[in-house]
Amino acid sequence: MARLKTLPEPMRSHLADLPCPTFDTRPWVTGPPLSRRRVAIISTAGLHRREDRPFEGMTGDYRVIPDTCTAKDLVMTHISTNFDRTGFVQDWNVVFPLDRLHDLAADHHIGSVAEFHYSFMGAADPGAMEQAAGRLAGLLKGDAVDAALLVPV
Amino acid sequence: MGALGHYLETQGIPTTQISLIREHTETIQPPRALWVPFALGRPLGRPNDPAFQTRVIQAALALLEADSGPVLIDFPDEAPDGSEPAEAEMDLPACPVSFARPDGQKTETGQLLEAFRQELADCRSWYDMAAEQRGFSSVAYFTPEAAFQVFHDFLLDKPIPLDDNIASPALALRLAAQDIKAAYFESVMVRPDITLPDDTAFNRWFWQKTAAGEVLRAVRDKCRASDDAALKMNGDLLLVPMDQASA
Repeated sequence: MARLKTLPEPMRSHLADLPCPTFDTRPWVTGPPLSRRRVAIISTAGLHRREDRPFEGMTGDYRVIPDTCTAKDLVMTHISTNFDRTGFVQDWNVVFPLDRLHDLAADHHIGSVAEFHYSFMGAADPGAMEQAAGRLAGLLKGDAVDAALLVPV
Repeated sequence: MGALGHYLETQGIPTTQISLIREHTETIQPPRALWVPFALGRPLGRPNDPAFQTRVIQAALALLEADSGPVLIDFPDEAPDGSEPAEAEMDLPACPVSFARPDGQKTETGQLLEAFRQELADCRSWYDMAAEQRGFSSVAYFTPEAAFQVFHDFLLDKPIPLDDNIASPALALRLAAQDIKAAYFESVMVRPDITLPDDTAFNRWFWQKTAAGEVLRAVRDKCRASDDAALKMNGDLLLVPMDQASA
């Protein structure tokens, strides 16, 4: 489990010592009831279409994942070797829950599923991700997304 | 992950997220986060358990209807049995498929590569059957044979073939390492004589019992000794997991 205090060394210290940014502001955007929201998945698992470019480093770039993607279309090239990948091999939903999101839309628990989803490589420098997030926000608004579900790995 | 939530929300996109390291989320304070007590690499808890995954995703999405934030709440349940690390060794039977490290100790490079080649030949049928059953493989770029060639060429000081997507030896080695691990896991998934291991047991087996793991350690050592910064980073961080680095 990912309780920091229970992880073995040197992993525990590595994660405990990772620098985390802090912010002076607390942004808070409201929206309609969940049953009317359009939801996109933003993953930091280094996922991309099989024919797309692999993730190479910590530059904060992202890949576009069309909603029509299926499990066979998606691969993972995150640079870290320190997390489990056998779950993803068995079932992509344990990392990228697109089937679950479609289930929720079919049950009218959410309004709809976005046309595009996105994936970063999570170990990237937060400063680099900030610039990419600015571009990504425009794409999400263009897709009428009013709920981004962020999923780490 | 938390910083990305802050950035997107600042840009006007409502966000909610899953948190795997609570301490990081407490520091960053993104708008909305659901901490889950699951293994790294399994943010939805357990593969092939749609009901449990749905509970997790619903709990994360429900935070979008909170009145104010930042919000950080804990998912109440551990992942169901089967996704937590187990202490048991992976129970590989004694059989003609020899995954054991040759002679139980390090070998010369040529012997090691030959043992790896034999090991690959032995597991290839299972890998193929897994791909046939599932309709695809999680291997991204390098078939087992192509991965073998990358490690072979690197260890024997031969040039590694590159292309537009994989433009450096360091990237080729890292992706080939990921792919060979995926191929080995897929081959295990369909064997009738093995209970599917959890991730901890699989990793212990792969890194401590297989020729492939031994080859990757040899690649790691050669990368570490390189003057190339990307290869050196491979050797220091990106080929062998921290918990297996000294095994």
